[in-house]
Amino acid sequence: MSRLPSLPSLPGARFRVPRPGFPWSAPLVPRGYERPPAAPHTGADYDTAWARRPLARHVRLLVLEGPIRLGVRALTAPERTGLDRLDGLEGAAIFAANHHSHLDTPLLLTSLPEPWRHRVLVAAAADYFFTNRLTSAASALAIGAIPIERTRIERRSADRAAGLIDDGWSLLIFPEGGRSADGWGRGHRGGAAYLALRTAVPVVPIHVEGTGAIFGKGDKRPTPGTSRVTFGAPLHPRDGESATRFAGRIETAVAALADEATTDWWSARQRAARGTSPSLSGPEGSSWRRTWALGERRRPRRSGSSRSRSSGAHSPAWPRI
Amino acid sequence: MKALQVERSLPRFAVARAASAVAPGRGARVGPLRLAEIDPPAPPGPGWQRVRPRLAGICGSDLATVDGKASPWFEPVVSFPFVPGHEVVGELDDGRRVVLEPVLGCATRAIDPPCPACAQGDLSRCRNIAFGCLEPGLQTGYCSVTGGGWSLALVAHDSQLHTVPEAMSDEAAVMVEPAACALRGALKAQAGREGVVVVIGAGTLGLCAVAALHRWVAPARLLVGAKHPQQHRLAGELGATDVVAPSSLPRAVRRATGSSAFGQSGDDSSPPARAGGSSPMMQLTGGADAVVDCVGSATSLAQALAIVRPGGRIVMVGMPGPLAVDLTPLWQREVELVGAYAYGFEPGPGRRTFDLAFELVADAGLDRLVSATYPLHRHVAALAHAAEAGGRGAVKIAFDLRRERERDRI
Amino acid sequence: MSPRPGFVLEVDRSTPPTLFMHGNGYRLEHLPVGSRIVYPPEPLPVVRDIDGAIRDALLHPVDSDPLPALLFPGMRLTIAFDDISLPLPPMRRPDVRQRVIEAVLDLAAEAGVDDVHLIAALALHRRMTEAELRHAVGDRVYDAFAPRGLLYNFDAEDPDALASLGETSQGEEVEISKRAAESDLLVYVNINLVAMDGGHKSTATGLASYRSLRHHHNVRTMQHSRSFMDQHRSELHSSNWRMGEVIRNAGVKIFQIETTLNNDTFPKPFDFLQKREWEWSLRDRSSYLASTKALARTPDRVRRSIFQSVLAPHNMTGVNAGDVEAVHELTTAKVMEQQLVHVEGQADILTLGLPHICPYNVHSVMNPILVMCTGLGYFFNLYRRRPLVREGGVLIVSHPTPWAFHPVHHPSYIDFFEEVLTETTDPLEIEKTYEQSFAEDEWYRHLYRTSYAYHGVHPFYMWYWGAHALQHLGGVIIVGGDAKAVRRLGFKPATTMGDALEMASDVVGRDPSLTHFHCPPLMLAEVT
Repeated sequence: MSRLPSLPSLPGARFRVPRPGFPWSAPLVPRGYERPPAAPHTGADYDTAWARRPLARHVRLLVLEGPIRLGVRALTAPERTGLDRLDGLEGAAIFAANHHSHLDTPLLLTSLPEPWRHRVLVAAAADYFFTNRLTSAASALAIGAIPIERTRIERRSADRAAGLIDDGWSLLIFPEGGRSADGWGRGHRGGAAYLALRTAVPVVPIHVEGTGAIFGKGDKRPTPGTSRVTFGAPLHPRDGESATRFAGRIETAVAALADEATTDWWSARQRAARGTSPSLSGPEGSSWRRTWALGERRRPRRSGSSRSRSSGAHSPAWPRI
Repeated sequence: MKALQVERSLPRFAVARAASAVAPGRGARVGPLRLAEIDPPAPPGPGWQRVRPRLAGICGSDLATVDGKASPWFEPVVSFPFVPGHEVVGELDDGRRVVLEPVLGCATRAIDPPCPACAQGDLSRCRNIAFGCLEPGLQTGYCSVTGGGWSLALVAHDSQLHTVPEAMSDEAAVMVEPAACALRGALKAQAGREGVVVVIGAGTLGLCAVAALHRWVAPARLLVGAKHPQQHRLAGELGATDVVAPSSLPRAVRRATGSSAFGQSGDDSSPPARAGGSSPMMQLTGGADAVVDCVGSATSLAQALAIVRPGGRIVMVGMPGPLAVDLTPLWQREVELVGAYAYGFEPGPGRRTFDLAFELVADAGLDRLVSATYPLHRHVAALAHAAEAGGRGAVKIAFDLRRERERDRI
Repeated sequence: MSPRPGFVLEVDRSTPPTLFMHGNGYRLEHLPVGSRIVYPPEPLPVVRDIDGAIRDALLHPVDSDPLPALLFPGMRLTIAFDDISLPLPPMRRPDVRQRVIEAVLDLAAEAGVDDVHLIAALALHRRMTEAELRHAVGDRVYDAFAPRGLLYNFDAEDPDALASLGETSQGEEVEISKRAAESDLLVYVNINLVAMDGGHKSTATGLASYRSLRHHHNVRTMQHSRSFMDQHRSELHSSNWRMGEVIRNAGVKIFQIETTLNNDTFPKPFDFLQKREWEWSLRDRSSYLASTKALARTPDRVRRSIFQSVLAPHNMTGVNAGDVEAVHELTTAKVMEQQLVHVEGQADILTLGLPHICPYNVHSVMNPILVMCTGLGYFFNLYRRRPLVREGGVLIVSHPTPWAFHPVHHPSYIDFFEEVLTETTDPLEIEKTYEQSFAEDEWYRHLYRTSYAYHGVHPFYMWYWGAHALQHLGGVIIVGGDAKAVRRLGFKPATTMGDALEMASDVVGRDPSLTHFHCPPLMLAEVT
């Protein structure tokens, strides 16, 4: 009700058009009353509680399992690995993934296993998804988005997210704070770590690959391709760990997953143990060099597709990665 | 004179063929074979005598005739109407018991000089089986002039007669002719003592071949593919080292020869989920030195080709008829395929086949293979029994003419 | 509620009929009043934090330095793991082997180890397929190692991959995987499903060649293993322990990791198969009725694939790591805690319902020889001190015993069935006359090495496994089996349990005592 135009002063009763009176129309504001500024209802303050009520959840379930799942499969042909690492995980969790594309959210929502899939909320940029009431409602309904302020740590949105996690909701969050512009990642922000520390829930690192090429930032229309989602082992906040340190651990874990997705698990573990996992944010320097380096990281063919005989002596030469 | 006679009647052959598709041997009831009253055959020339059959066996080739399944190949070498029966032990008018060597070679046809094969005593290769003083007919039992064993009397040339020793029973004597066929096949296998020899089929011919191989070759492994329990037992008694079901023959041969088999190596990461025993056509890399096929069907020949070693030898003893068989293995593995039809002279032992057969029958006790005898008028039952001999636990079925009432009146 | 221990029930007039597993199916049978039924203990609780427990076991091993202390850069590390024969039925993903191997590799990565081989310790079993390896070690490990040829099936017939380590005091040759023998550390990842598994048997059997195995996989050893589930009275284990000593003295350092599983065997809605019959709920009874009716109308092949696709919900109850012998003592204690049931006295008749699976027909066919091995080898020997059935007693087995073989997995079994069992069923005679020719058959060797076939000699071992039972029993009756196949095995076929009991009375008299061993789930009877 914030957009009611202020009524002009009535010049005279003679020109009154017949219109229904007060209970039938909005009340007039008495003169001399200073109206307080209306509370903003979009952006970070958009109230998404309605989108967590049973009716909305069922609508979301239908949308997610129907059109979204079909669309995701058609566009991204996802391969999902590492789900077994979630075995034994119970209760709410924070899923922290890298971010290339708008497709990441639907891809991840369809990739999450039960029981999280239908009890997860997506931390969405308040300044992007919640700019007006229509997009706000659509985001909240379709993907269970909750607005998060990405430009600054905002106490109220953090409180609200923490409250929801305490209520048993899981949270999907992109700690990079936005989609990658050039294919390389950005440094992680502390939100996920902060929430995990505050609510004492584990963080599941996730690496998404391939969506950038399908529908990256700035693309006008998607090009169907393949994608790969790699789930990592849940990270539990340690006693006395700072949010920054924990955020660093999450970033390292996602980097290791990225390494695993492009090479193989053992090489990734070895590099992770040595602290030499390739950085997600790519080399410093000019943009062409960053793009050039990106090409070298392209995922090779899946090893599973080429089998080898058991004996080491007879195994075919393995392509150098 | 009572006799079973085969007439040249195309419709009857066709009906027999159809009936035999229902059950083998059924052709006897509706086919070209009839129990008839005919005149006893007259001797066609000097040197011929009357023989009154005592026992006359039913051979696989007879069954094929009765069922209308005989190969068109025989068309020019038989003469209608004929009385079947070439496995005959009978008696001459002087009471001497004889076994008939049924091939009608140059000598019986009064052809002089005889053809080169007959000159060597190799009657089965005679080149004149449709000429001379007789009607066409490759053997007694396919010739309209001589009569045949399934009657009360026939005529035979002196050269065809082999006196039965006093000690030998009629049952043993009637086995001499089939034993001679089988033994010729067994000797043609040309296997050595170290070799592995397979006999496919354990009917009369198969069992006789086993006995012959055991006696004259004694290979290290003598495998027999036998369908029925009775055949298993007899094959073992007659000298087979291994008797297996026909479907397991390839596996048994593979084991016996230490060879490998194709088609089951593992380049497939998802093995077939199918279950069951071995395929009867498992293809071996090596195989037996010789295979004696005493069945003569497309299946048996294909199996023989699959289990014989490259360069090995397959002897066809069973009468084949028209078959559809993939001969690629014959070509690719350079296998020799030889036939063994009847008897004559065996260059190996250097004696006549029939003489060897008499020894074999006596020493191996082949009289035990005669399972049942029937009078002529029960020919339908007899032929049905013969056609299903294995399944009914029998081997050789014969007509017993010793107690025919008319016999002494002729 | 803590899990209830196993117990022995005496059948009276109010006892409901008893469940018998029957191959790819199950039946209810009425047992005579006065019969006793041995029920297994209920599943023990699973470790809550499995990965944490594994890591803890690796960092605080028994009688050994912590694993990180044994790992150093530049070393040769070999990880051997149990093959497809364990556990039964296969467990749901993630397999406990995957968890352990990943934990070990994590530590190895931290220690800077580069040279790692992973070997499926399958001895003379068939090679595992890619799918089976992926199931056991997980996709991550498979994708990281298999394409480089660093994850492979053990090949007991590769002369270049075997190392002879000498002989035991009793002249038994010890020949195991060369890679394992020459490694700086061999980590063995085991699943201890029954008391027979694990200990020195892991390496001395799992990574050994025929030359080595024949010294304990033979009739004499099996007849002197009373039973082979009781390692203190098992010649099989004595021999393996002697070999273990040779391996240790040869300088092979083994870090043994043994895991135990609970006996939670059947997933819902088939969990009624492991419940006591009088506790079946309405749902259980409907499941039983519906599934038996449906299975009766299902072709054998489909039934087989349904049963073979069962993944058990069992999971880890404990993990121990460190020195082979010390670890195995703890493991055995845990297995006993799950499986031991006290039974008083032997019976004249022992009845068994054999399930669809045994160690050698995972994703395959339970052929008649495996039926013999499962009944007379495994189930009969699930005892300590004395067999459940008296000497000269009768064993009644319920199994359809189809005349069916998996042509790829069990080629030598087919020939064993056709060539050997048609001649004799006496284990000693079989061993003397036929074993060598099967063991040295080139084709079997070829199929074992390149296809997915059990070794040529394996059916013999199956037969030896039942040698003790054959010696002990007065008769074996198979209920509901293919009569021809059962006779070929040297046993008597019976159509119904009633007939079988009548037939048994010829041997054990009119009023015999009867014990039914209600297995699976697995248990071990302590017979006093």
